[in-house]
Amino acid sequence: MIRVRDLHKHYEGHQLFKGINLDIGKGEVVVFIGPSGSGKSTFLRCINGLEYFQQGQIIVDDIELPSIDRLRPETKDLETIRKVRLKLGMVFQQFNLFPHMTVLENIIEAPIQVLNTDRAATIQNALSLLRRINIEQKAGSYPEELSGGEQQRVAIARALAMKPEAMLFDEPTSSLDPEMVGEVLSVIKDLVNEGMTTLIATHEMSFAREVADRVVVFDSGDILETGPPEEIFTSPKTERTRIFLSRVLKQ
Amino acid sequence: MMKNIPRVLSLFISLAVLLLWAAPFASASSLEKIRQRGYLLWGSDAEGGAPYIFPDPKDPSKLIGFEVELADEIARELGVTAKQAQNAWDSLIPALMRGDSDIAMNGIEITPQREKEVLFSLPYYIYTEQLVVKKDETSIKGVDDLKGKKVGTLSGTVAQDILMNMGGVDVKIYSGQVEPYEDLAIGRLDAVLLDLPIAAYYGKPNPKLKYAGLPVGEGFYGIAVRKEDRELKERIDEVLSRLVSTGRLKDIYVKWDLWNEKQAKLAGLEKLFQEKGYVSLEESKKAPIYTFFPALLKGAGITVFISVISMALAVTLGLVLTVIRLYGRPPLSNIATGYIEIYRGTPLLIQLYILYYGLPNIGISLNPLTAAFLGLGMNYAAYEAELYRAGISAVPKGQMEAALSLGMTRGIAVRRVILPQAFRIALPGVTNDFIALFKDSSLVSVIAMVELTKTYGILAASTLRFFELGLIAALLYFAMSYPLSLLARGLEDKLKRSKR
Repeated sequence: MIRVRDLHKHYEGHQLFKGINLDIGKGEVVVFIGPSGSGKSTFLRCINGLEYFQQGQIIVDDIELPSIDRLRPETKDLETIRKVRLKLGMVFQQFNLFPHMTVLENIIEAPIQVLNTDRAATIQNALSLLRRINIEQKAGSYPEELSGGEQQRVAIARALAMKPEAMLFDEPTSSLDPEMVGEVLSVIKDLVNEGMTTLIATHEMSFAREVADRVVVFDSGDILETGPPEEIFTSPKTERTRIFLSRVLKQ
Repeated sequence: MMKNIPRVLSLFISLAVLLLWAAPFASASSLEKIRQRGYLLWGSDAEGGAPYIFPDPKDPSKLIGFEVELADEIARELGVTAKQAQNAWDSLIPALMRGDSDIAMNGIEITPQREKEVLFSLPYYIYTEQLVVKKDETSIKGVDDLKGKKVGTLSGTVAQDILMNMGGVDVKIYSGQVEPYEDLAIGRLDAVLLDLPIAAYYGKPNPKLKYAGLPVGEGFYGIAVRKEDRELKERIDEVLSRLVSTGRLKDIYVKWDLWNEKQAKLAGLEKLFQEKGYVSLEESKKAPIYTFFPALLKGAGITVFISVISMALAVTLGLVLTVIRLYGRPPLSNIATGYIEIYRGTPLLIQLYILYYGLPNIGISLNPLTAAFLGLGMNYAAYEAELYRAGISAVPKGQMEAALSLGMTRGIAVRRVILPQAFRIALPGVTNDFIALFKDSSLVSVIAMVELTKTYGILAASTLRFFELGLIAALLYFAMSYPLSLLARGLEDKLKRSKR
C-alpha cells in the first residue's frame, strides 16, 4: 500500500536520508524504532507530505507524492499531496487538538469542511468514535479541560473520523505522563486488531514487540535492519541495533 | 574666610530674589523690550497666506506680502527690524497673549469679541467679503442665493460669522485659505466667501472661478497688541497715521493690487477710532458654557461615527493584507508587505492630505467623509495587519500540520483553524488600536471634517475660551475612550485565564 524507493532528503545542507527503500502492505503493522533524531519521525512525515524530499519516490495507494520546491509549490502538487493525506490519518506527539473547538467540534470539523458530509450523520459517527475510546461524556469539553491521555485519544478519533486507509502515529505517547500511556496504547491496539494498516514511531519497546508485524530500526537517517519483532529483539543482525536495544531495554 | 561663605551665599540669594521680584517692574514696557531686543516679533501665518504674508516663490526662504512690507515700515519707525513669529492663523491671538509675539497682524478683523482680549491699533485696511463661485455657476448671483448651498470659508473669520448668521447655509470650515478655492474648483463646494484680498489672490486668477456679486460687509484689519501694551499701541497708531498721510500705505496697496476707493476712508478713521467707535458685545463672550454643549456633542457624534466606520475598514482590510502577505504568492505578497511598510512608515497627516487634496490633481475627488474613512481605515489597516501577523505566528506550527494532515486545504486550515486562534491573540491589541484611532480621528479636521476637535477649534477661536472648551472637549474624548480601554483590559485578562 505504501512504497518508498531511494528516498533522499536534505535539510539546510544536512543530508538526512541517503536512499531509503521500504514497502508496507495493506493491513500491515510496522513499528519504527531507533534513537532520537534517527529520522523515524521525519520518515513518517515525508509519507504524508508534511516534510518535502528532494529525490526518490513515495507512492501511497497508487498516488505518487511529488517532490517539490518548498517556497513555491505548484497548486496541482499541493492537491496531490492532499489526496494522499485523505488516505492517511496522522497522530502527533503533541496531540495538536484545535484549542478553540470542543472535543466534538474537533472531530466533525474536517469531515464537514473537507468531505462535505451531512452534519447530523457526522455528529452521530463522532459520538460513536468517542464511545469507542470511552470519553463520550467529554464531547462538549474544550481540549484544555482534558488530560493528556484523553487529548491523544480524541486526536486519534479525529483522524479516524476521516475514515483513513492507514494510520501514522508519530511518537504518540512520548509527551504523556507514564500513567496515561496505557490508555492510549490500548486504543491503538484495538485499531490494529481491527486490521488497520498502521505505522508507529515509538520508544515503547514492549508495545512494539506486542503489536508489530515488522519492526524497522532507524539510525542516522538509515534503516539498519527490518524484520519480525522476535528476530529484531532476540537476535539483531547489526551491532548498532544491539547497542541501541540494550541501552533502551535497560531503562 | 571659610566661615564667611554661607553669609556671602545668602547675600547673593537675597539679591537674586530681589532682582527676580523686581524684574517685572523694572522692564517697564514691551516697547522698551523691543528696542533692547532690536526686533519686533509679529505673529502671523505664512501657510497659504498670500497676499498677506507668504514665501517668495522665487526664494522660498524669504517671506513677502503686503503685511510684510507694513511690518517692516512699522519696525523701521520703532527703530528696530521686524521678525515673523509663525503661528496657525486661528491661534495668533492666544499666542500673542501668551507672549509669543509683540503684535499680531495677519488680516485680523477688529471684532468686539477680539477687542475684549486685545487692544487693536487703528485700522490699516478696510476689507470686504467677496463671494466666489465656479465659472459656469448661474444660480448664485450673490450672498442672498446661498440658502442650502455648500459654502466654504476660513475658521474664525468674519465671513464665517456672516454665513452662520444667515441660517440655512451649509457652511464648510477650513483652516487654510487655499483649500476652499481648490475644493470649489473641483466641485466640492458651491461657493466661497472670504475677505477680498484672499479672493483677489486665490479666487480671481483661477480660470475655473469667478466673482459673484459685489463685495459685502465691511470691516477693518487692525494690529493686535496685549491689553497692557497701550504705549506700544499708541506708537503703532502714530506710525500708521503717518503711513496714511504720506501715502506710503497706499503705495504698498497699489503694489499688491489691493487699493480701492474704500481705503481712502482710512485717513478719516483716526478720529472715529479714537472716539471708540466699537461697542463691545460682552454677552457673547460671557455666554454660559452649556450653550456650547450641543455643538460639541454633535462633533463627538461625528467622531464616533468616523472612528467606528474607519475601524471596521481597518479590521477587514488588515485581514486581507495579512492573508495575502503570509499565504499569497509573489508579487501579490510583496505588494501587501510594501503597503504595510509604507503606511506604517509615513505620517497619517500626509496620507490624509494626499488623499483629499492630492488625488484631485489626478482627477479623483473624494468627499470629506469618504476621505476620512479611507484615510484612517487604510492607515490603521497596516497596523491591524501587523497585529494579525503576530497573532498568526503565535499559533503553534502543529495546528497547521494537524489541519493539513486531516486533508484540509491551506485555505480551509487558515480560515477555520489558524485565524480564529490568531484573532483571540490579536484582540487586545486591536481594541487598543481602536482607542488610538479614536483619538487620531481628530486629524481628519484638516480635510474639512467638523468633528469634535474641529468643533472645539472653531468655538474656541471665535470666543477665545480655549481653556474651558478645551477641558470639555478633552473630557468628551476621555468619556468615550475610557470604557474602551476597560474593555481592552477585560479582554486581556480573560485571554490570560483561558486559551480559547
